[in-house]
Amino acid sequence: MNKKLSLKNAGTFLVFGGPSIFAFAAVVIIPFIVGLYLTFTNWDVRTGDSSLIGFTNYLEVFRDKVFLQQLWFTLKYVFFTVVIANVFAFFIALTLTRGGRGEQWLRTGFFTPNLVGGIVLGYLWQTLFSQVLPYLGAKYGWELFQTSWLTNTGTAFWALIIATAWQLVGYLMIIYIAGFTGVPNDVLEAANIDGAGRTSVIRRIILPLTVPAIVICIFISLSRSFLTYDINLALTKGGPFNSTELATYHIVQKAFLSNQYGVGQAEAVVLFAVVAIIALTQSYLLKKLEVES
Amino acid sequence: MKLRKAASFAIALTVVTGLLAGCSKGNSANSAVKEDKGNEGTQTQQASKDVKLTFFNTSAEVNTVFEELFKKYHEQNPQVTIELIPTPIGGAQLEKFQSLLASGNPATIVNLDAGTILQYKDDFLDLEPEKAKYEALTNPGAIDGALLDGQFLGIPWTAQGYGLLYNKRAVEEGIDGAFDPASVKTRDDLEAVFKKIEAAGKAPVMLHGADWSLGAHYLGLTYSLQSQKVEDNRKFVEELKNGQVNLTENPQFTGLMDTFDLLKKYNARKSDPLVADYNRDSADFAKGAAAFYFMGDWSWAVIGTLEGRDADFGILPLPVSNNPEDFGNTQVAYSEPKLFAIDDSKSTPEQQEAAKAFIEWMVSSEDGQKAIISDMGLSMPYKDLKAKSTNIMSNAVSEYVKQGKIINIGVINYLPQDYWAKTGAAMQKYLVGNIDRQGLAQEVQDYWKSYAGK
Repeated sequence: MNKKLSLKNAGTFLVFGGPSIFAFAAVVIIPFIVGLYLTFTNWDVRTGDSSLIGFTNYLEVFRDKVFLQQLWFTLKYVFFTVVIANVFAFFIALTLTRGGRGEQWLRTGFFTPNLVGGIVLGYLWQTLFSQVLPYLGAKYGWELFQTSWLTNTGTAFWALIIATAWQLVGYLMIIYIAGFTGVPNDVLEAANIDGAGRTSVIRRIILPLTVPAIVICIFISLSRSFLTYDINLALTKGGPFNSTELATYHIVQKAFLSNQYGVGQAEAVVLFAVVAIIALTQSYLLKKLEVES
Repeated sequence: MKLRKAASFAIALTVVTGLLAGCSKGNSANSAVKEDKGNEGTQTQQASKDVKLTFFNTSAEVNTVFEELFKKYHEQNPQVTIELIPTPIGGAQLEKFQSLLASGNPATIVNLDAGTILQYKDDFLDLEPEKAKYEALTNPGAIDGALLDGQFLGIPWTAQGYGLLYNKRAVEEGIDGAFDPASVKTRDDLEAVFKKIEAAGKAPVMLHGADWSLGAHYLGLTYSLQSQKVEDNRKFVEELKNGQVNLTENPQFTGLMDTFDLLKKYNARKSDPLVADYNRDSADFAKGAAAFYFMGDWSWAVIGTLEGRDADFGILPLPVSNNPEDFGNTQVAYSEPKLFAIDDSKSTPEQQEAAKAFIEWMVSSEDGQKAIISDMGLSMPYKDLKAKSTNIMSNAVSEYVKQGKIINIGVINYLPQDYWAKTGAAMQKYLVGNIDRQGLAQEVQDYWKSYAGK
C-alpha cells in the first residue's frame, strides 16, 4: 500500500515537477557544471583546443588587477543600489497602502520600468543623461547638468545606480506592499488606541513585522544588481575609459573581446561565489530578526 | 486508480522524452552535416533543393539594405533563402559572432573585419579556387590587399578611407574665401585654417570621442605610418610587444599626438569631449556646426540622407608634421575593411555553393552594386561599376587612390581584437586630460607588452 502510494506520488511529481526540473537542469545546472569544468581548461573558440590546465585560470584571476578593481567597484555599486532601491521601494509602498485615491494607477506606474528590458531602459537613460539633461542644463544654467553625466567617472557611477534602482523599485515595491498587507489590522488599531505616532508605528510595528519581505527584497536586489550587465552595456558601455565596467561586463569583455575564455569563466565563478556568500549571509542574519505578530 | 497512474506515467514520459528529443534533434542535424562533408566529392548540386543561408552582418548601419538584397535574390532564385543576423552599431558584434560559433550554429556567410576572419581562419572556407575570377573583377591590387597571411579567405566588397573630412561651405565661410585642400600640407597650415575659422566664430573641428575612433582610427595610424609596407608595420608592432619601442621617441607617434593636441584645442565638443554621439556629431558637421571632422567616408550613410545638410564635402589627409614631404601628410588612410567569408565548420557543401553564388551576385550584378554604391553609399574596389556613387566623400577618397596617395592600414588586420577598446580608453583619458603624453605612451606600451609572445 505504502509502496503503491509513493509510486503514485512519484508519478504525480514527475508530471508537475518533471518539466521544470528538466528545464532547470538544462539551462542552469548543466551549463554551470560545464562552465566549472571549462575553468580548468585552456579552451579557445578559435582553435577548439581544450586541455586541462588545473588552477592556472584562477591564479590568473587574482593576478588580473583590473578585475579585482572592478569587483570592488561592483561592490560599491551594489551597496548603493540596494540601499537606494529598498529605501525608495519601502516608502513608496508605505505611501501607496494608505488607501488614497489613484493608488492602483500609481502602483502600475512605478512597476512599469520593471517591464522594460534593461537594454531599452539603458538607452532611454542614456538619451536623458547625454542629451536631455545637458540641454536643460545649458538652457537654465544648471551647473550640475552642463555636461553629460556619462562622460565623467564619478557621475557615470551615479547614473548607473539611478537607472538600476529606478528599474528595481517597482518590483520591490510590490513585495513590500504584500508584506504590509500581512501586518494584522488589530495590532495597528491597538497601536492607534495607545496613541502611537506614525514614526513609532513604522519603527516598532511595521518594520519588525515585514522582515520576511525585507529579506526577500534585499536578496533580490543584491543578486540582480550584482549581475547587472544590460544597463551597463547600454548606458555607459563601461566608459568613460572603462571606469564604469561592472564585474559582469569585465568578464564578457575578457572572454569575448580579449579571447581569454578560461580566465573569463573563472572570474564568473569567483563572482558567483561572492554573490552567493553575501546573499546567503544577509538572509541568514536578517532572518534572525523575524518576529511573530 | 491503476489507469490513472498509468496515464500520469505515460504523460510524464512523453513530456520528458519530447523535451529530450527536441534537444537531440539539433545534434543529429549537425552530425548529418559532418557526414555530408565526408563525401563532398560525390555531392552533385541540386538546383531544385531549397537552401537556407544565414548572413552575419557587422556593417550594422546598412542592415536594411542587405535585407532588401536578400529579398531580391530570393525572388530571382526562389530556392535560396537568406536570413540576416543583425548586430547593433558599435555594439557587441564579436561577442555575438563568437557565441554563434561556440554554440555550433555559425552563420553561413559573414561580413566581418578582415582581422577577425584571420583570427578564425580555420573556420572559414579557403577561396583559392575563386581567386582568379575575383582578380579579373576587381581593381588591381584589391585582392592582394585582402589576402590574410597570403590566403584568400574573404572577398573584399567595400573600400573605405578616412582622414579630415571638411564641410566646404563652413570652411569657406570661416576663412572668407575659396578653400583649396591642397593648401594644407603641414600641421601649421592646418592650425592657420583652424585659427581663422575660430576667429569667424565657428567651431573648427569635430573630434568624435568614441574608443573605436580614437583607438583604431587615430592612434592606429601610429602603426600604419611607420612604413608604406604592411610587413614593416607588423614588425614595429612586434617590437612594441617586446618592449623595444619607446613611443615618446617615435616621430610618427609624437607627430600624431601633436596634431591631436591641435584637434583637442579646437574641438567643437571641447566642453564635453567624450559624449561621442555618432549621429549627432555627423549631423552637426554636415550642417556646418563644425568645419572639419576626423572621420571617414562611411559617415555618408548618416549624412547623405540628412535634411538641411550642406552640399559639398571633401577630405584632407591628416597632417602629422611640419614637413610637407613626410609620409602621411599627403596620403589618406585607405583599406578594404570588411570581407565576405563563408563558414567551413558547419555549413553543408550546398550552402557553401549557394553562398559563393550569392556573394558573386551581390558584388557583380547591377542590383547588388546599386545597393552597395547607391543605397549604402560605399565605394567598391571593383571594375566596370554599374552604378555611380552619390557619396561625395568616397569619391574624394577615390581621387587619392587613383594618384596612389594612400596609407595602407592593412597592419590592423593582424592586431589583437581588443586593441581599439584598450588603447582607445587610454586615448579617452588623454583627451580629457586625465593623463599626459608620457602616461598615454606608457599605457599603450603596457597594453602591447601584455601581448608579448602571443
